[in-house]
Amino acid sequence: MSVVRKFRPPNRLAKLIKDRGGLMAKDAIAAAEIGVESLREASLAVLDGALSEIERRFGPGAPDRESESFEALYALTLQMIDVSTFVADAGVDQAAISLAAITDSCAEAGVWRWNAIDVHLNALRLLRTVGAQLPAADREAMLEGLYKVSHRKIDEL
Amino acid sequence: MDVLQPSTRINLEKASVLVLDDNGPSLDILSQVVSGFGVNQLSRAESVKEAQALVGTKTFDLIISDVQIPEVDGIEFINWLRREAPETNRYVPVILVTGHTRTTDIFRTRDAGANFTVAKPITPKVLLERIFWVAREERAFIECDAYVGPDRRFKYEGPPIGIEGRRRDDLPAEVGTAQEANMSQDEINSLMKVAKVQI
Repeated sequence: MSVVRKFRPPNRLAKLIKDRGGLMAKDAIAAAEIGVESLREASLAVLDGALSEIERRFGPGAPDRESESFEALYALTLQMIDVSTFVADAGVDQAAISLAAITDSCAEAGVWRWNAIDVHLNALRLLRTVGAQLPAADREAMLEGLYKVSHRKIDEL
Repeated sequence: MDVLQPSTRINLEKASVLVLDDNGPSLDILSQVVSGFGVNQLSRAESVKEAQALVGTKTFDLIISDVQIPEVDGIEFINWLRREAPETNRYVPVILVTGHTRTTDIFRTRDAGANFTVAKPITPKVLLERIFWVAREERAFIECDAYVGPDRRFKYEGPPIGIEGRRRDDLPAEVGTAQEANMSQDEINSLMKVAKVQI
């Protein structure tokens, strides 16, 4: 049987954070938000680039989508999620997370669920274009629908 | 768990922080957020190899790492950190960030020895709260053959009062009015009654 050691290592961060000076939490958050805002344009370009590439390679009109890998779609979707903080008001972040979940379940089963992926791609494009202007209830209903689709198991279909 | 109040003072000026993410734009966002918190000593790495080199030469007070990294991922990095990194960095608080929170991955991040896992997209408020919690938490460290990291056994009591949970199944702290009628004594009896069972 292995020996278990239980101990409390010094937490340097705990000491530093309590030092005099520093920032109030609200000011630290505001400063971080301002800093992040400077990355908006570049981040949206990355997001749009990833969405376009997903549509090109995995959309309904993509001729070779059957031969694409699950990992490629998953990686592109994660690229979108990484920078989707700027489009959270449009629901793009949640739709992308839902697409990652469905891609993951496809990879697990080894089978593409194109209907579910196409629904997600349509929703992502719509949300990216007008998501922020949609009534909140409509946007929530759409995201709830995507969540249900992405969490259905292959054998439930 | 303490609540981070807007007026709570946090001093991260002297904290040395390592951020690791293979996706450049995501690393930029993470770096901007951490710099906004007042961190002056920020080290960036775009691969686990780079991060390991930095951990070998500098002492960090906090590490924030992505999970999904090609080749060697964030979970393997934390596994290495907890077991093989220089002693000065082995027990450093770690926050993992991930774009996809599938349950098996969250268990893996926990079992690798991470203090917290945060879902992307990152927002400054959520990340600062987690940094505050990591700095204030009092969990002991466990070291054995199968695991090195903060004690994984802690009671889940939901998000702190006044904080809206980020999980789908997070319930509000306040208990609302009853949604159903109370059970009658007969109903309770029928539920609890001892019955003979034929095996």
